[in-house]
Amino acid sequence: MSLFDFFTDPVLRGPTWGTLLMCIASSLMGVVLFFKKRILLGESLSHAAYPGVVMGVSFFSFFFPAHEEWIFLAVLGGAFISSLLGLKAIEWMEIKGKVHSDAALCFVLAVFFGIGTVGASAMQLVNPVWYSQIQMLLFGQAATMSDSHIFLYAVLSAFVACFILLVFRPLQAVLFDRDFAKSSGIPVLVLEKIVFWLLLFSLILGIRSVGVVLMAGMVVAPVIAARQLTDRLHFVFFLAACFGALSGLLGNILAVVGSSFLFPEEKLNLPTGPMIILVGASLALLSLLFAPKRGLAFRLFRIISFHFRCLKENILKALWKKRGISFSDLRKEHVVSSFFFRLALLRLSQEGWIEKRDEMFVLTPDGVQKAALVIRLHRLWELYLAKSLGFEGEKIHNNAEEMEHILTPDFEKRLTAFLLDPKEDPHNQPIPQKEREL
Amino acid sequence: MNPYWGAGFFEFFIVLCSRVGAWVMGHTSSLAADEIQIGVLSCVAIACGLVGPFLVLKKMAMFANSLSHTILLGIVLAYLLTSSLWGGGMFDLSTLLIGAALAALITAFLTEGFVRFFRLQEDASVGFVFTTLFALGIVLVTLYTKNAHLGVEAVMGNADALHISDLRAAFWIALLNFCTVGCFYRQFQISSFDGNFAKTIGISSGLFHFLLLFLSATVCIGSFRSVGVLLVLAFLVGPYLTARLFSDRLCILLFLSPLLGILASLIGVALSRHLLSVYDLPLSTGGIVVSIIGLFYVMAFFLSHLRYKLRFSLKKIFKLNNFT
Amino acid sequence: MNYALQAKDLSVNYGETSVLWDVTFQVPSGVILGVLGPNGAGKSTLLKAALGLIQPLSGKILVLDRPFSEVQKKVAYVPQRESIDWSFPITAEEVVLMGRYNRLGLFGRIRQADREAAESALNLVGMGSFAKRQISQLSGGQQQRLFLARALLQNPDIFLLDEPFAGVDLATEKAIMALLKKQKEEGKTIVIVHHDLPTVEEYFDWVLLLNTRLIDCGPVSKVFDRKNLTNAFGKEQVLFSEAADLSAKKMSGLL
Repeated sequence: MSLFDFFTDPVLRGPTWGTLLMCIASSLMGVVLFFKKRILLGESLSHAAYPGVVMGVSFFSFFFPAHEEWIFLAVLGGAFISSLLGLKAIEWMEIKGKVHSDAALCFVLAVFFGIGTVGASAMQLVNPVWYSQIQMLLFGQAATMSDSHIFLYAVLSAFVACFILLVFRPLQAVLFDRDFAKSSGIPVLVLEKIVFWLLLFSLILGIRSVGVVLMAGMVVAPVIAARQLTDRLHFVFFLAACFGALSGLLGNILAVVGSSFLFPEEKLNLPTGPMIILVGASLALLSLLFAPKRGLAFRLFRIISFHFRCLKENILKALWKKRGISFSDLRKEHVVSSFFFRLALLRLSQEGWIEKRDEMFVLTPDGVQKAALVIRLHRLWELYLAKSLGFEGEKIHNNAEEMEHILTPDFEKRLTAFLLDPKEDPHNQPIPQKEREL
Repeated sequence: MNPYWGAGFFEFFIVLCSRVGAWVMGHTSSLAADEIQIGVLSCVAIACGLVGPFLVLKKMAMFANSLSHTILLGIVLAYLLTSSLWGGGMFDLSTLLIGAALAALITAFLTEGFVRFFRLQEDASVGFVFTTLFALGIVLVTLYTKNAHLGVEAVMGNADALHISDLRAAFWIALLNFCTVGCFYRQFQISSFDGNFAKTIGISSGLFHFLLLFLSATVCIGSFRSVGVLLVLAFLVGPYLTARLFSDRLCILLFLSPLLGILASLIGVALSRHLLSVYDLPLSTGGIVVSIIGLFYVMAFFLSHLRYKLRFSLKKIFKLNNFT
Repeated sequence: MNYALQAKDLSVNYGETSVLWDVTFQVPSGVILGVLGPNGAGKSTLLKAALGLIQPLSGKILVLDRPFSEVQKKVAYVPQRESIDWSFPITAEEVVLMGRYNRLGLFGRIRQADREAAESALNLVGMGSFAKRQISQLSGGQQQRLFLARALLQNPDIFLLDEPFAGVDLATEKAIMALLKKQKEEGKTIVIVHHDLPTVEEYFDWVLLLNTRLIDCGPVSKVFDRKNLTNAFGKEQVLFSEAADLSAKKMSGLL
């Protein structure tokens, strides 16, 4: 089977499109939970949905045993009621019971799940076929979804997405600064109620594909991945939805491929939940490592290139103070690996700041200016520390050694203005003046 | 033949008492399945009742949730390790303890690592770590055993299929927890109350924090077979919250919590037997016990509320009397 | 002994921001020292670094001329009230008894002598009748007195108190100050992180002005003047803080 088959084949397309759409809603709500720092609420509520799922299925099996493909409606309804009860229980424990949120979440999670377990065990006896349906919802089983499911989940996911779009501005305000939002007239309490209902909705939507137990993963991984890539809230929402959909898609495909690989004869299906979570986690890890601005890999690279730049600037300073230094003398002053040192010299001459004359290194005219700038920053900073902050001694020089590589042109302007365009540093050495722009 | 066969709720206790009496007299006989259940669940209740209060006080209940999920991975890894090293079984005590230590280490290390090196917020880190590791654990277990249903057992346990070996494991774990908490009660108390002050008087908060984590992991692993990783959380948190409504003394709470857990287990097993005998319904005993733990809390809440209201109105009545 | 508290080139980071930078000072014993500075100036951090709760980036800080771990038994720490969960199931008496845990080691038992010492400490701070009370039932001032009683039980040579007067009624504040002054007369050193400028001259002999860097440290009459206060709370600092932030970001690769 090719990738294309997954989207078009009548048996495969239901699960494929279904999981893809289902994970979108939970990823979107994950963004809200993330910024409210209540990710674990998603964990608690998804487990609280379990008894409702059981009730829904048993209710359905009682009254409509023939229409198996509509069972998901019962599942959705039951899950919604159950997790709503769970939410109320958590709130009640926190407010009336004065129980800390942490303990309340854990308690509701476990007790509701326990109640569900009892119900499930009853189903196991009464109607084993339906029991397996319930068990599938623990870890997700998308394999039996049909086209009608696609339609329904598309509508419901679109509903969640549209709603978020509608309330985006006030939602952003509330997530950023709740008290301010309240004081500026936004109906915060109403909004939060709506958001909680949306949350419940999204959680139970995803239960079919990811399962009750692993739902929290579908809430947290997409937003982690998205957050690393952008600072703008609407992009976070958008990217989280994309990552969620991708996780759902790939996870489902992996589960199908894995099933046929592991259990070719038995027609047993791997649970889709774990695969979706693992794909989502991989995406999040990739993002954490390789995101352009905040990813770990790029941060390490930036640290190294910063230290390299410091080395180059220190060499330039040394050459500014003493015209023409031999390689060996220069090497002595800088305690770095030989490789980096030579690389620095090479880069400096390539960039046109230094050149070699009779076995001695000297600054080019451009190099003189560049070095002078670094010296200027150093001495300006020293003056600031000594005069304005009252520092004394070795500290001044040492700190300036560090700061000269960090101060930006904007800083330099502000320092100059603040210190009233000084001409001498604390050691009475002249501060190189800025060349006037022609 | 199971002596509890066909017993209703109250008959169950009669049979139990008579068997306990017989055992005391010296007429030993092998343990019935129901008694093994009570034994294992009681050991779980004791271990959880001793560790749970500290977890709740340190706001680590959801972290315990995280830990209990990672247990699955810990067991798989420990099993791979011990079976290749000395052919240990999956549920040997040594495997379980190694698995517990591994799980505690991995969970703590990764959660802390994400917060520190990747600058992830704490709740997101906790949620991310445990769901990923649990999914990994399920995939590994499924691949290894070619059985797609083990995940379900991991989560819910199966209190109705316990053996005497499970009782032994649960007993040792309960004993371990009892001795450790008993020995280091003061250290646990002070590092939970005022971690910084504890450090300044030489009590390593970090050490006891990790010790608590390890004990929680052993408890979760010890309950793996009986109630599964999710329901054990009810044992950890529920009895403490219930007891807290009635007492403010930590040492009393550490006595009441296990007691309430044991009580819930007794009632739960009896009820399960009753439902089987009278209604022919073999329900999940673990689920029933957890539901009873939940019920205890709700009842206790209303009771204490009532007591408060009663005291309040009594005071009002007395005040009125004093005026006249 | 030379100095009760001293630091040399002490620098402490919190994450990426520089909280204390190149702080050097010496404080003699037998004084009541006030640590002052604006919010986020590093006052609590200084205390925590002295107690070994935070590892400095560079430099060192000594208590009673030694690193904290060597003189631990002679130092009493009174943390900020808000760092405690006051709904913890524990009585006032049990909190005070914690002052003796130091001496008991891993397996020691609390003896009658410890209990009586706790009782007298509670009486000294005016909390004698509250011994069996749950801490959740205590007011802010009572909670603070409780902490002081615990510190007294440790019988230290130096007290380190972090914002002891925050959210405390005036009567309690005066009572605590009176107790501490008596301790000073017995030769102990008191270090208080303080936030209320008008009371400085009344309470302290020595003052340490801090704003990420040390402004000044010395007797109140010499150090607590307009120039230093402007330096501590004034605007020259701004460029420095921004530069420090920039530096931290560069070092961790975020920019």
